[in-house]
Amino acid sequence: MLLLLKLLILFNENYLNKNRVVQLVKNKDSYGITFNAMASPCEVIIQSTDKQLATKLGNDIASEVWRIEDKYSRYNHRSVCSAINNSAGHCVAIDEETYLLLNFAEQCYQLSDGLFDISSGVLRKVWSFQNIQSNNDNFPTAVQVKQVLTNVGWRKVHFNQNKITLVKGMEIDFGGIGKEYAVDRAIIIAKKLTNNPVLVNLGGDLAVTCSRINNEPWQVAIEHPDIDNNHTDMIVSLKSGALATSGDARRFIINDGKRYGHILNAKTGWPVEEAPRSITVVAPQCIQAGILATLALLQGTHAEQFLMEQEIKFWARR
Amino acid sequence: MVARGLAVVDVVVINTMKNKTEKTNIKAALTIATAALLGTSNFTKAETTSIANVEENAWEFDSAFLFYSEADRVSAGEAIFNATKTFTDEEVLNLKLTVDALTGASANGGVAQPNVQTFTRPSGSGQYTIAAGDTPLDDTFHDTRVQLNGQWTQPIAPNYTASGGVHISKEYDYLSLGVNGNLAFDFDRKNSTFSAGFSYFQDKFTPEGGIPKAFSSMLIGDSSLPNWDDEFAKTRIGSEDTKTTTDILLGFTQVINRRMITQFNYSYSMVDGYLTDPFKIISVVGGFNSIDAGVAQDYIYESRPDSRIKQSIYAQSLYHFDKSVLDISYRYMWDDWQITSHTIDSRFRIPLGDAFGRESYIQPHFRFYQQSAAEFYKPFLIDGAALPTYASADYRIGEMTTFTVGLKYGLLVNNGHDLSFRLEYYRQTPTDAGFDEPGVLKGVDLYPTIDAIIAQVTYSF
Amino acid sequence: MIKEMKLVLFIPLIIGVTGCASLGVEPWERDLLAKDEMSLNAAPVDSALDDHIYFSKEASSGGKGFGGGGCGCN
Repeated sequence: MLLLLKLLILFNENYLNKNRVVQLVKNKDSYGITFNAMASPCEVIIQSTDKQLATKLGNDIASEVWRIEDKYSRYNHRSVCSAINNSAGHCVAIDEETYLLLNFAEQCYQLSDGLFDISSGVLRKVWSFQNIQSNNDNFPTAVQVKQVLTNVGWRKVHFNQNKITLVKGMEIDFGGIGKEYAVDRAIIIAKKLTNNPVLVNLGGDLAVTCSRINNEPWQVAIEHPDIDNNHTDMIVSLKSGALATSGDARRFIINDGKRYGHILNAKTGWPVEEAPRSITVVAPQCIQAGILATLALLQGTHAEQFLMEQEIKFWARR
Repeated sequence: MVARGLAVVDVVVINTMKNKTEKTNIKAALTIATAALLGTSNFTKAETTSIANVEENAWEFDSAFLFYSEADRVSAGEAIFNATKTFTDEEVLNLKLTVDALTGASANGGVAQPNVQTFTRPSGSGQYTIAAGDTPLDDTFHDTRVQLNGQWTQPIAPNYTASGGVHISKEYDYLSLGVNGNLAFDFDRKNSTFSAGFSYFQDKFTPEGGIPKAFSSMLIGDSSLPNWDDEFAKTRIGSEDTKTTTDILLGFTQVINRRMITQFNYSYSMVDGYLTDPFKIISVVGGFNSIDAGVAQDYIYESRPDSRIKQSIYAQSLYHFDKSVLDISYRYMWDDWQITSHTIDSRFRIPLGDAFGRESYIQPHFRFYQQSAAEFYKPFLIDGAALPTYASADYRIGEMTTFTVGLKYGLLVNNGHDLSFRLEYYRQTPTDAGFDEPGVLKGVDLYPTIDAIIAQVTYSF
Repeated sequence: MIKEMKLVLFIPLIIGVTGCASLGVEPWERDLLAKDEMSLNAAPVDSALDDHIYFSKEASSGGKGFGGGGCGCN
């Protein structure tokens, strides 16, 4: 049964990959471009009535997002990420973009005192968070966690401008920064192409190039963590910068009545306790917003305090 | 963030953080890390709801007042008001207003004598007497000067920054107009910068009493007599004169490592026009074998060449230790008046944390300067000897050593505004460049030391 | 004394000119260099005031840079 499920998911992902289509929708004063990438619905809105411009913008951005997905997705066996993860202790050549991303991950590791660690992806082998409430079966034992933790540790990763070497058994996962990075890259492309206001939204992580015409803000709805529709979404007016949401809205485990989010503490191997259900952060760039939201969640109970001390604009839901 | 100096650093200023117990500025560190990743240098600000981020496009102001005072001589007060505005695309506008006032007495170039001396004021109306043994000082110098500067800096292409500015300075008897331009080129991840700049000044001098005839005798007597004005006019050749100054500066800046940056400059300067000081005279004294050896027989107005070419090389290093910063520089200057000079300037900034005021620091300062005399520098002339082509007894182009020691203390007040105080001691020691002193001159101080105090308050907001 | 000082200050220059490739920092290593006090003209108001004093009292001037406009004072 489980095997069948796994096959279905694999097939689905492949299908999604083949489903690389960019769709164009015309609205009153803008064009909406939609496509699928990184297992999320993606959209680009450009406040312009120029169809040719909107088409070019949509294609350029979609291509870039798919390029990043192909390069850094853990699920794509041809990606640079997979090549690194399957290297079995040998060094792998990397290019400048990968080097810069690894450096950024390094900065985040240091800033979070080791809590944020892109080598912590292997923990998913003992933790599986799914869309539905799980039962005790999927809750790992302390021994299991300790065992898989030996393959976690950014300090064991060695890299320079040209190559990276992982200890055998280790894996790196760009999932924590990939989508936000793609948003920022898309914004750079949009700014180069046009002066018209553009909004890029990749599955809830979004950014804008500038405010809408006449200095009007963009209206963004932030989903409430609970799936039931009794709670209303929150509307944020965004004039410039980016917005990223981190949270356990969809992925969590309930064990013994306690809710465990999917953000894992890379040092202990266990989920962060008492973390807010969702945190939305505003920052000049999407990757910054994303990291700050994740860093905040890693603080657990102190998430809000952490963000307030840094004087960052945010919304948290518990 | 303001683009300072010639090299533009495209990151935001942060406080360093490493200790978990200190309040870490994660936001700023992430901003730098993000910039490195995305390769962007233009930061947009995140603006939500109705909260406007007013940090960009804001004006930054500096105001300062300086007091300079030499013991028994000149005192000056100078106030500066500087306004800088940085625009979104790294364009910077800088406006500066300077006002200074001078009062007190300056050496007129004559030598001290064992008897009382009388001199005529530069304007020609009135005399002043100097006590026996005293260095002659003319106290008619009080003037107020106003200066305006405007400078515009902007990137003109990736890694190219251009800057241009104007200058106007006016005092009662002096007008100076100038322009400057500069181009800087950054390369190797902005670790190296080449720059080339020029400046051009046109000055007009309308001294009180007019321009004196070179080497003419100073008229001493009673300025209320009827024929005084005619006689005085005979010693004058005009009411005003001009000079132009052209400077070229070539610079190279290099980041050595995370803690150190260096700069190297070469400059070439040409001054043409009236370079003589119309208020200065030279004492003509009796020769070694005369009865009046060393006694002043006449005072004649000095005369300097009408051009001067100066060159200098300058090297500066800044080194950031754990917390303190050392700034040290050396300049060597040489010109066609045969003056050479060495200047060593050093500052050491020591942060004091929050113990003596928010983010306070002290900065000791030491400067050493040494110059050789101009080839036409003559502390006095011998009566009867042939006059040289040019001569001046101005100690400021004679052989001299100076040093400055000082201390600056600064802290943050109000909403993070800088307030600082600076107190320095400046000592100028003219020395004998090898002139034998005839007769009575052996008994007087030909090279008096001048002590001065410098005090400054600065407030930036 | 002066000779040694000259050496100390010119060595970085010589290294800089000949060994440029190995010198410098990556953009993310500019935390210290970005501080105000590490600017080559860290206190421009102090410099302007001092330059005016030393121009008036000594025979040398300038050589350090333009920026805020020359002194032009006499």
